[in-house]
Amino acid sequence: MAALTCAPAPPDQDALLAGALAQDVDRAFERVVIAYRGRIVSFVARMLGDDARAEDVAQDVFVRAYRALRSYPAERRAALRLRSWLYAIAHNLTRNAFRDAPPATDPLDYDDASPRPALLDERPGPETLVLRAETWASLGRAIARLSPALRPAFVMRYVDDLSYDEIAATLEQPVGTVKAAAHRGLLAVRAYVEKNDD
Amino acid sequence: MTETTRPYFTTEIFAEIGVDRYTAAASALGTVYVAWHVSGVCGVRLASDERAFEAWYAERFGRRVVPAIEDDPIASAARAKLRGEEVDVPLDLHDCSLFEQRVLQAAAGIMRGNARPYDWVAREVGAPGATRAVGNALGRNPVPLLIPCHRVTRKDGAVGGYVFGGDAKRKLLEAEGLDFGAIERVTRLGFRFVGSDDEGTFCLPTCGDVACRVDRPGFRGLRSAAEALAHGLRPCTSCRPIAA
Repeated sequence: MAALTCAPAPPDQDALLAGALAQDVDRAFERVVIAYRGRIVSFVARMLGDDARAEDVAQDVFVRAYRALRSYPAERRAALRLRSWLYAIAHNLTRNAFRDAPPATDPLDYDDASPRPALLDERPGPETLVLRAETWASLGRAIARLSPALRPAFVMRYVDDLSYDEIAATLEQPVGTVKAAAHRGLLAVRAYVEKNDD
Repeated sequence: MTETTRPYFTTEIFAEIGVDRYTAAASALGTVYVAWHVSGVCGVRLASDERAFEAWYAERFGRRVVPAIEDDPIASAARAKLRGEEVDVPLDLHDCSLFEQRVLQAAAGIMRGNARPYDWVAREVGAPGATRAVGNALGRNPVPLLIPCHRVTRKDGAVGGYVFGGDAKRKLLEAEGLDFGAIERVTRLGFRFVGSDDEGTFCLPTCGDVACRVDRPGFRGLRSAAEALAHGLRPCTSCRPIAA
């Protein structure tokens, strides 16, 4: 599994890429793949709970992205919010893959009766998961078991560090819905990790 | 974030979208452009102008080619081979006819420091006499340098044609250790073969450095295979100077 927190992409990287794509999709496309392959493979792996298939599905994400880009007029490519657009493609593809092969276990969701472990650091700054190295594997299992309703928002927010606005755009859901899903996902994952961490 | 994607991750995506990539690489003739896709290197040309190369590529292969940002193992292998390292490079000769592919494979088997005549290649591919067709096939070699079509030369000691010009061909062969001055002298004297009494064999003048030795004791210039056989010499198994 990849690192839990990613350095956010430089803010102007997407604008530069979108500008290059507007000029010539073919010549700019390898830059898009290089800029996003790590994040997309990691996102897909989390969504599927399956590292082995993640690269194949991630390649499919880029192929679909390319075909869409070729069909867009230059103005649309220039205005593209590349990051949330790629995540939306990845989300759609993994949702299909998830439907084809749902996990064997009962999906994990947050139940208010669970104890509240101290994994969530809500002191100043954004919410972050505070995890020891040995909890990594446990975290991966927790995400793999997370309910399909919570998993995309949780992974995008807490693994891939997307903003709620970006997640809302990706999932085509209201920001409030997305925030609630990410939070419920966090509580469920926290409870699972805590319970299985001893 | 760690980058752990497999080495052909990007190349496989480009195969799916039908776009090939190229890179500039150093070679014995200076910088060349090397274009490749998932099944191997498919085009090599002297680097001059990117747009001209892309136009040649589109014309020849009917596919778009764009400058690459990263090497994959195919591009790295091509780069190493063009630097002179002995490595295997996957090649894609899909737009060549089967005859052309056989000719190119025969040329690929000619070792560094050697050259072979056009009619020798014709014989090797089972088409004796098809010397002109061999020349045409070599002229269409999509991957010069990686397939050393420059190692096929004229029987009369001249270097013959080359996609990058005769001077470049001669320069390459001499850099590889062939002494073309000596080869020309031997052929001008009317010798078709060089025999070695010690080895008990006879060779083409372009087999390694035999042309330089023709005046030395124990070596002899030979005007015909019959003359060689009369001296009790066997054909060299490396350059196979006569038909089996």
